[in-house]
Amino acid sequence: MRILLLLIMSSLAVGQSGQEIAKWVDEKPSPKDMSNTTKMILTNSKGKTRINIMTSRSIDGNKKQIIWFMEPKDDRGVAFLKIEHNNKDDEMRMWLPAFKKVRRISSKKKGDAFMGSDLSYEDLTNRELDEHDYTRLDDATVDGIDCYVLEIVPKPALRSSYSKHVSWIAKNGFYGVKEMSYNKRGELKKEKEFSYQRMKDYYVIERVFVEDVQKNHTTEVTFDKINVDSGLKASLFQEKNLKRLPKD
Amino acid sequence: MIDDDLLKMMPEDLESRISWDNIQEEFGSTEVVFIAFGHEEENIFQPEALAKLWDLSEALEASDWVDEVTSISTSTRMDNYDGFMEIDDLQLYRNLSQEEVDDILTYLDKNEKIKKQLVSREGDYFIATIKPFDSIELVGFVAEIKSITDSILQGFDIHYGGQAYFTGIMPPMIREDVKGLMLAGMIIMVIILLLNLRNAPAVGMVITVIMLSLAAMMGFMGWMVHLTGSGKFLFTLANTSMPIILLTIANSDGVHVMTKFFKEFRIFKDKRRAVASTMDSLLIPIFLTSITTVAAFLAMTTSPLEPLIGYGITISAGILIAWFLSSTLLPSLISLKKWDPNSKAVATKSVFEKIIDKLGKVVLTHPKYVFSTGLFIVIIGLFGLFKVSVDVDMAKFFKKGSELRDSMDFLGEKMNGTVDLRVRLEGDMKEPETLNSMIKLQDKLADFPQVRTSYSIANVVEQMHRTVMDDDPAYESIPESREKVNNLFTMYSMSGDPDDFSTMVDYQYSVGLITAFSTNLTTSETFEIVESSQRYIDQFFGKNLKVDFTGMIVIIRDLVNLIIKSTIVSIIFSLIIIGFIASIFFKKILWGILAVIPLTSAVLMNFGFMGYFGIELSHITAILSSIIIGVGVDFAIHYIAQFRRLSRTIVENKLSREVVDDVGYPIILDAASNMGFGALLFSAFIPIQYIGGLMVFAMVSTSLGTLTVLSALAELLKNKLIERNTP
Repeated sequence: MRILLLLIMSSLAVGQSGQEIAKWVDEKPSPKDMSNTTKMILTNSKGKTRINIMTSRSIDGNKKQIIWFMEPKDDRGVAFLKIEHNNKDDEMRMWLPAFKKVRRISSKKKGDAFMGSDLSYEDLTNRELDEHDYTRLDDATVDGIDCYVLEIVPKPALRSSYSKHVSWIAKNGFYGVKEMSYNKRGELKKEKEFSYQRMKDYYVIERVFVEDVQKNHTTEVTFDKINVDSGLKASLFQEKNLKRLPKD
Repeated sequence: MIDDDLLKMMPEDLESRISWDNIQEEFGSTEVVFIAFGHEEENIFQPEALAKLWDLSEALEASDWVDEVTSISTSTRMDNYDGFMEIDDLQLYRNLSQEEVDDILTYLDKNEKIKKQLVSREGDYFIATIKPFDSIELVGFVAEIKSITDSILQGFDIHYGGQAYFTGIMPPMIREDVKGLMLAGMIIMVIILLLNLRNAPAVGMVITVIMLSLAAMMGFMGWMVHLTGSGKFLFTLANTSMPIILLTIANSDGVHVMTKFFKEFRIFKDKRRAVASTMDSLLIPIFLTSITTVAAFLAMTTSPLEPLIGYGITISAGILIAWFLSSTLLPSLISLKKWDPNSKAVATKSVFEKIIDKLGKVVLTHPKYVFSTGLFIVIIGLFGLFKVSVDVDMAKFFKKGSELRDSMDFLGEKMNGTVDLRVRLEGDMKEPETLNSMIKLQDKLADFPQVRTSYSIANVVEQMHRTVMDDDPAYESIPESREKVNNLFTMYSMSGDPDDFSTMVDYQYSVGLITAFSTNLTTSETFEIVESSQRYIDQFFGKNLKVDFTGMIVIIRDLVNLIIKSTIVSIIFSLIIIGFIASIFFKKILWGILAVIPLTSAVLMNFGFMGYFGIELSHITAILSSIIIGVGVDFAIHYIAQFRRLSRTIVENKLSREVVDDVGYPIILDAASNMGFGALLFSAFIPIQYIGGLMVFAMVSTSLGTLTVLSALAELLKNKLIERNTP
């Protein structure tokens, strides 16, 4: 039924504004919860790499997320809990097993990198519709996928670290295929590519590749053992659970 | 191409240069420019000053030349608020209230190591450290940052420093200096030539040979850079003296030809016969003087310092061109002009000729007395030799009171050091033992009063440890386990910029870098710091940690060693070669020995004078011995050639007198014309001024040494030297 709805919306999009397309993207169906094993490969300009493997659980479209570090061995046991709030700063807590302490961390800078990657907290946060201006550009095809192209400009009140994004949105499914983000000086900063798999009624992300073109640094994130709508409880997202590594 | 990068002077296989190159590869450019601005003895922590620092940092970061700007405006802070570890900008926005400014100061007071990098010692100047992109041209980089800074910081005292600044600022200064020196050299030379030759066309002909030789030499240098791409042929500060030196050498050949021609013309009254006789008499001596001068300069190719090799080759090419032109073009020009045998220049003796008459009488009447006096002067010089010190302090290259020197002195005094020492450590950078070793080495470096500050990843770990442990100062230490260190890095990575540590540790935490800054150092202080630190490492560091020293402190230490080696080798090599050439050409080993005696004496006296007057041996003044030998050998060669020539026809008791009469005047005129070296006294660079002064002295000592010591010795040994039966 949801697929049929998407198809109808997609056929209606001819002549639609950027704002309307962005609204459909925002309203596309998403899983109630998600579990996965995340592999993150960071590669610097000299070709040296760092690899992290984590187990992640999230609900409410990633607004509540808990991550346990599994590899490298040095990091095993470190865990991270994030809870996004609409009207106050996000909560971020970290379990440091060597210190046997939970520490709250805070980053006021939206542009700060998440775990040394090329993804900033701003990249990982859901875009609020009313905090951006959307302009529809000429449609294009990316890797055989027909796309709407939107120019997304953050409103000043957002204090974004970007001046604008250009996003390629698959007409069939309203998921992002590619995005180019520009820094405050208007220079290209990051190129992002996304690929998805169909699970149940959803397009679930299975790979993100980001290149910081200015630093010549890349991040590849792949998601494995993906499980959606498995009935994760909100009570999982508590500080005490950081200390317990999941069994699977 | 003008370039004065100290690093490019060093041999590529030198250990400290290899380490330097490794560090550049792993951590990016370590050559930086420091900008300090403020008002002396006024508190710089004011909202307006921070707003300017914000503007400056933003403008510099926007430049295509600039890789990174480190200042209060670009730094982060790490705080603990009620159990929150917060990483945020140290300066949140441009316009701060006084309360917010005071908060920054409080944070910096708590973190002294960070403060030392960002603020002057008295808190009256802000410091911005500008890192260029790798492999960019530093002249353009410095011009760009100066233009940006000067436009933003109007009304503030601004001072610049750092190795990248000097490498970038020197080429335009060298270009201007060379232009001025060339002009001064030419004016001095023309005046001396006019006074002595007393004939404008004759002076014009000599100047033509000089100018063509000079143009050909500079063209040769350009072609060598183009064809080889070698750093040996870059025009460095050391090369500033090169055009003036060729100018005097080319002049020397011309003066000999011209004066000999006048003398012969006075006798024969026939231009063709006079030119033929002149060239018959001078062709071999000029060739020989050129060859021996070339030999002396080619001895510089044994130097481990790259620019000295290029210097030797380039000036040798110039000398050979000057020889060719003096032997071909100059006689042709003389032949083309109509000369008046009754003109003053031809018919009457000049002032110098009259002086030579008197000098000849003194020398030849009392040869033993003259020789003993010369020997006595040389012995006095020898004592000074032991006082010569070696120093490569760039600050001392500029006059006190000059803008550049004042800036360097200011930064040395007010800032926490501008001369860097880098220690590269290969090992596990998350291992507490490694981090503690780094801290201990930093403490060891801090024992030297000249070392004002140092930082490394170990300091960051200490700061993170304290922050995680509720900001308790007792925990400002390296945690006891690797796991804890790793937890700190992981926690930081959750919110900090991954580039924050890129100048301190490599991507995989297997190579770390300690950066220390000191004030300007004397050579002995440089040696003490490097060698004492090296001993400490050998004694206390485990074998699982590979440690390399580099940075300007070490580079300068190595440069000093190379200068000493280079000077000794080039002196010995050139004297042997010249002695050998003279022995072969004059067919007697004794002539070979006698040819180098005035040179050896002049070199010894030169270093003696350097010792007495406190002139330091540097990579610039190291060139002196080769110049003295190369230029001074001409006098001896002319004397010996004429002695041999006349010994075949002149009676024994009149021989020396005739030789002095014949070559004395051109030698003295040659030496007087070489006072063009005095032009170097007008240089903006102190070592070049020293070269000018010492060369003037060397010209006097080698020319007089030839006409006194050599002629006295030749007189004493004439029985062994006269070659009546030689065809």
